[in-house]
Amino acid sequence: MNQDKTGLDRRSFLKASLMSGGGLMLTVSWLSSFKSADKSEMLNLPEQWATLNGYIHIMPDNKVKLICPNPEFGQNVMTSLPMMLAEELDVDWKNVTVEMGPHDPAKLGAQFTGGSNSVRMYWKPLREAGAAARQMLREAAAQTWNVPVGEVTTKAGILSHSSGKSAKYGDMASKAASIPVPKDLKLKAPKDFTIIRNSKKNVEIKKITSGKPLFGLDYSVDGMLIAMIQHPPAFGMKLKSFDAAETLKMPGIKDVFTQKLYADDLEQGGFDTRTFNDLLVIVGNSTWEVMNARKKLVANWEPAGDLKDKIGGRGGVKEVTIPGALESTTTQLQQMQEYAAKPAQELRRDGDPESAFKNAAQVIERTYNGPFLAHNTMEPMNFFAHVTADKALLVGPLQAPGWTEPMLSKLLNLPPDKIEIQMTRMGGGFGRRAYGHYLYEAALISKKMKAPVKLMYTREDDMTYGIYRPMYTATYRAALDANKNLIAFHVKGGGIPEHPIHANRFPAGAVDNYLAEGWQIASNITIGAFRAPRSNFNAAAEQSFLDEVAEAAGKDPIAFRLELLKRAKEKPVGKNNEYDADRYAGVLELVRDKSNWNKPGNEKYKRGVAAYFCHNSYAAHVVDMVTRDGQPYVERVFSAMDCGIVINPDAATNMVQGAVVDGIGNALYGQLTHKDGAAQQSNFHNYRMIRMNEAPKSVEVHFVQNDLDPTGLGEPPFPPVFGAVANALYKMKGKRYYNQPFKDETEKVI
Amino acid sequence: MAKITLNINKKDYPLEADPQMPLLWAIRDLAGLKGTKYGCGVAQCGACVVHLDGEAVRSCVTKVIRAAGKKVVTIEGLSETNSHPVQKAWQEIDVPQCGYCHSGQIMSAAVLLREKPNPTDQDIDDAMAGNICRCGTYLRIREAIHTAADLQKKTGTKG
Amino acid sequence: MKQKPENGAKRFVSKKAVTMLSIFIFIVAVGASAFRNDLPEKEIKFNTITRDSVASVQAFEIVYKTLMSPRCMNCHPAGDVPLQGDDSHLHAMGPKRGVDGKGVYAMKCSNCHQETNVAGLHMPPGNPDWHLPPAALKMVFQGKSAHELAKQLVDKKQNGNKDMQKLIEHADDGLVLAGWNPGEGRTLPPVTHAEFKKAWITWLQSGAFAPKK
Repeated sequence: MNQDKTGLDRRSFLKASLMSGGGLMLTVSWLSSFKSADKSEMLNLPEQWATLNGYIHIMPDNKVKLICPNPEFGQNVMTSLPMMLAEELDVDWKNVTVEMGPHDPAKLGAQFTGGSNSVRMYWKPLREAGAAARQMLREAAAQTWNVPVGEVTTKAGILSHSSGKSAKYGDMASKAASIPVPKDLKLKAPKDFTIIRNSKKNVEIKKITSGKPLFGLDYSVDGMLIAMIQHPPAFGMKLKSFDAAETLKMPGIKDVFTQKLYADDLEQGGFDTRTFNDLLVIVGNSTWEVMNARKKLVANWEPAGDLKDKIGGRGGVKEVTIPGALESTTTQLQQMQEYAAKPAQELRRDGDPESAFKNAAQVIERTYNGPFLAHNTMEPMNFFAHVTADKALLVGPLQAPGWTEPMLSKLLNLPPDKIEIQMTRMGGGFGRRAYGHYLYEAALISKKMKAPVKLMYTREDDMTYGIYRPMYTATYRAALDANKNLIAFHVKGGGIPEHPIHANRFPAGAVDNYLAEGWQIASNITIGAFRAPRSNFNAAAEQSFLDEVAEAAGKDPIAFRLELLKRAKEKPVGKNNEYDADRYAGVLELVRDKSNWNKPGNEKYKRGVAAYFCHNSYAAHVVDMVTRDGQPYVERVFSAMDCGIVINPDAATNMVQGAVVDGIGNALYGQLTHKDGAAQQSNFHNYRMIRMNEAPKSVEVHFVQNDLDPTGLGEPPFPPVFGAVANALYKMKGKRYYNQPFKDETEKVI
Repeated sequence: MAKITLNINKKDYPLEADPQMPLLWAIRDLAGLKGTKYGCGVAQCGACVVHLDGEAVRSCVTKVIRAAGKKVVTIEGLSETNSHPVQKAWQEIDVPQCGYCHSGQIMSAAVLLREKPNPTDQDIDDAMAGNICRCGTYLRIREAIHTAADLQKKTGTKG
Repeated sequence: MKQKPENGAKRFVSKKAVTMLSIFIFIVAVGASAFRNDLPEKEIKFNTITRDSVASVQAFEIVYKTLMSPRCMNCHPAGDVPLQGDDSHLHAMGPKRGVDGKGVYAMKCSNCHQETNVAGLHMPPGNPDWHLPPAALKMVFQGKSAHELAKQLVDKKQNGNKDMQKLIEHADDGLVLAGWNPGEGRTLPPVTHAEFKKAWITWLQSGAFAPKK
């Protein structure tokens, strides 16, 4: 069986060394080229991964320490990555401790948390590292005991020989460090796993329940100043003048000054997105003093006009014009309608869609809209910086330190080896912390103040100074022949400022005549990755549309999708179909069976189903809705996932449950609107978040059991929740929901 | 500025503070206890919940002066050994994802269990709807509160 | 004895009120069974009061629009969750009334609502006694017609056994006054507190007539 379906192709190198004080330190590094069917989904990762390294430390006391390279934002990598290591190393899980590594590209590699990639990326290297270390320990024991290495066995950190000889790993670790690293490694077959597939608790759970200072906002050093930024009240505005006289009179205030983030003409990387360039900064001794004094600050703003940015990337440097208009949601919606009627860029074409639509017995056309969404991580953006003349220390919550270093180096005029970045546990990420502008801001402020500084965004800053999920629209058309067969499919999608279309996703490949088109409208409202970028809109629109098409075809929504997937498998249309039709069908069948779809006993519920593939995993949900207090309430959900081997089942279940809750919340309530450039939501009083009383009573999660290499879970379960909720709402209300958030259409203010 | 002595987790902290300063910032910045979190600053999210004479107040809108002469308990002081039934249940159920909101969740749940040792799902909704979890761990919070209720019964420990 | 304004309840005809005879007022009888639906009804019988249905109903117009404004109605909801904001939406986190009206468990009113307002927009307004009406006496405003509300306000079974004196005093209750100190960003009730109080007393002392249904 081919277990490697991840598309990772790598060569690895291992290096052993003796730790000071004894013990084995194993460095694993590897070079791999990353093959993703859709590179844009990988947040524009470089073509070649940098050299990646992880550290394994085996101490004389038999403790094993792993330096976790990837930052933790709740996806539980600090537990799942060490599990892979411990599995092959064959150690007692109780003896494994985990430390978060600093940013160290030479030793720890890409260190990127995002794109549902951590587990996928580390699957082989960490197991190989574990297996290599185990092999070296066996060799060390064999030499010590003068027995053939093949006769030395291991169990939970103990080396044994049939003669009765036995030793702890720690006893042999120093000697093992001198053993050449084995070239050929045999990894365990999945059937032999003892740690992987066995649930392990979050390695930081006890720190969390006792309130240990794990997060960026908790980080503190003596003499640290607090900084906040007064940003313009609207996108498209900039600072004209300010009067800080009253602010400076307030206790504890050190300085108020302006700071330009990027100099004109500075070339930016793809993740250097920043919302405002001219910063008005307030610095003081403590959080409250700065918050309080900030209220006295008088700032005058003016229209910024059009801006030009130079954005570097694989395709070379592009000059991008950011329009200066003060945009409003209502006018944006009108603008989107106008653009939707214009010709767009063709992204994929199969067969002859125009003729098929012309000759169709029935054409269904529906348009879907989705608003900007704010990430609203519970921990607002913040970063610690201490920049001196010859070096910089930065500490805080960050998903992709490697992407920030080049810009930091330019802004601070320091070589990368003089910049130390440490990643704290993140109070949520969801893509937001892939954009390091708040770290640059902190660094520049510290440089100016010549002091250690913590930059902190208030909730209002965080929500109105965002890198949002774009605003999207898509029009879907389906053509049915006289026998109700789907003969053509057309999707034309657009957005501000990017379109949502994944042209090679289902149902591409399952329909003879297919057309996908995209268009976009430039905007000064800053956007970026938001949990399953683009998919989080598409799954709502497309899965809702397919439900409607199934109904028009007189078919059960699951059976209809399965028929299309059968076609995609047996006689696929086109060549670049991203998904595996078997696995896609697998989650649908699993959720159908587990939810007793169409079986008696569920009459109480209005049921909606949706399935989606993104970020290399497959997800399907059945959402069971009831009316409670006059409002639709998702009481029960069945989820089916295929992410290959499930490393840590309980944590994986938690992840899927959370994604379901997040999906329900964002589908029903999530939206950020603008008026004259100003965000109309600023805190949780008017940006509605799903709460305990709205969470389902049960989310039953089922994983497809297979031995395929694992893929991620952070994003894939999220997008189809939107579609399933829309389809259940239809069953409940008898009308379709085309515009997110759905609550606008279901719930009236009393 | 005024001299205010806060009793936090059974320890006196003599502080020099603006009496209008929210208790949250006194706890975090002046007493240096970072377990209590800032989430919204407007009493909407519950990340900052501490116990003030046993009540689950939101420290982000509670002036520090209100706490003078009263007993403040933060997540760090809920139990000495991380063993309050709610903490143990949170560990057993492995509730958190990112973990940021859970100090507040645990402090709110502890008051619920003290006042209603055997809460129903409805009681949990009523008590916990003020605490936002952006990762969506609500189902596990609910389960952990039931577990904590069982632990409390078994051990006789009260929050 | 029942009176009918000349031009119906919806039109308020100016009419000189008769001088009040006494400040010692007794509520003699209040009961829902005494009411009829077809006309302004006297709610309170006073042994020493001048009844004037026109003036009373006219005064109640001011009382009604005040009580139905968000500043008053938001804490007199139809359900067990208070309302919020000038649009009177359900309170964001859904705090429940509880038996005493002071919330439940970790969601007691005073966990957020301080003794005074907290400076800043969208901050919880404050009062030392912040609460909803208790579960046994919900005193719902939301959704009530002027007729229904007038009847309810003076119904001792529903108003906490308040007599005329107590009802008049209630106009100066701390929590009632808090409506006129709503905190930053919230609109005030439609009339000043003095105007409200005057209308309130006028309504009560001229017979507490309920506008026609």
